[in-house]
Amino acid sequence: MSGNLERRYRRVLRLLPGWYRQRWEEDMVAAFLDSWLTGDPEADEYITKAAGPGWAEVASVASLAVRLQLGGAGAPRRYFAWGQAVRGAVLAVTLVQAVAGVFALVQMAWSRHLFSWLPAPPATMVAAAPGGILPPVVWYLMACAWIVSFVTLVLGRYRAAQAIAALAIAPDLIRLLEGQFTGRWPAPHVGPWAFWVLLDLAPVLAMSAFHRDAPPTARRPWLLALPAGYLLVGVPLLALEASGNTAWLPDFSGLYCFLVCLACLAHVPRVWSGRADGSGVWSLTLTLLAADAGAYRILSIADYLHDPHLINVSLAELLILLVAVALVAPDAVRAQAATPAPPPHPRLG
Amino acid sequence: MTGQAFFVLTALADGPRHGYGIVGEVAGLSQGRVKLKIGSLYGVLERLAAEGLIEPDREEAHDGRLRRYYRLTRDGRSALAEEAELRAATARVVRARLGLTAPGTAGAAG
Repeated sequence: MSGNLERRYRRVLRLLPGWYRQRWEEDMVAAFLDSWLTGDPEADEYITKAAGPGWAEVASVASLAVRLQLGGAGAPRRYFAWGQAVRGAVLAVTLVQAVAGVFALVQMAWSRHLFSWLPAPPATMVAAAPGGILPPVVWYLMACAWIVSFVTLVLGRYRAAQAIAALAIAPDLIRLLEGQFTGRWPAPHVGPWAFWVLLDLAPVLAMSAFHRDAPPTARRPWLLALPAGYLLVGVPLLALEASGNTAWLPDFSGLYCFLVCLACLAHVPRVWSGRADGSGVWSLTLTLLAADAGAYRILSIADYLHDPHLINVSLAELLILLVAVALVAPDAVRAQAATPAPPPHPRLG
Repeated sequence: MTGQAFFVLTALADGPRHGYGIVGEVAGLSQGRVKLKIGSLYGVLERLAAEGLIEPDREEAHDGRLRRYYRLTRDGRSALAEEAELRAATARVVRARLGLTAPGTAGAAG
């Protein structure tokens, strides 16, 4: 009687991890069918043929799936490892955006002569304000929004951080759509879209991994990472820009690959020391970041097809990234493999 | 305790219920304001079971399907009583501040 309706709902339930389905699937299916079936054979026959789980029902299962697949406290180790790795990767990408935000604000302040003790800004910096239909103030607000989103995320206000980041990525999308439809940028223009999807949209969506069961973030090191990141990456870049030595600098995609490589190499001694102190989760985080950086590098090569030198540089960056991630990837695999049985469910009777 | 967990525990306070029975009871208790989707309900039930506040009671066959009933544990009953007391105290304060407290009961708002 309930054949089709039940089949459709079970298909949705496949979003949930196996251990959870083993315990709760039959229960959920029974409750779902109870919510639809009337007991009248004729009406029920029609319902089972025509009806299916609505969007709200699917969303409730999807939301539960995110909480379970990217587990927090009390989750089986494998799901907890994935949850922590995704949360770490989101924090890292949001940190990169926040550092870029500080960089943009300092650049803006300098180009407007707000730092009287600094020499006059180079002409390239003065001309660097983003164009398009949006006024410059929007871009500076966007830079501020990423900084606020990062700090808010670290402080545990997850949904606020996600909402602020969602606002921060809107101007970039408007700029991309404007460029696409007005033909302001030459084709193929893949890199900026790849940036928007992989470094703007992806972290905003993945902030859903910060749910109620997520353990609190270590505040001090992450908050210190913002000024440290600016001092170690932003200031040297700004100095190079000011001195006019930017010709050999990688593009943003190359810089992202370079930073992930450095993080992998810095993590290697911990992996090789053989200590089981959570290094596997960090290895998984770095592998995710490497996948993100690698995908961005590969896609943005499409914009360099006219220049063999830039293609070679991009491929070299990819190769270095691959070597660096190969050093931590086995540890990342081990982090998932050691999966003890989930805590026992109360038995009937 | 979240609002959903509070309503689910309250739905089980007067006896065991199965999944859809809880959905209906919560809708009734909240005067239709809380309409639990099945995914949300089982997210709450799993958490409450993991915390030891509810446990399975029995299974009954219904139209060829097994309905599993859940009941409050002793810890669940205490947690619900504690939460109800907290909410009642808050409600008393709100009523007092809004000037809705009946004469002679203002001291209770304390």
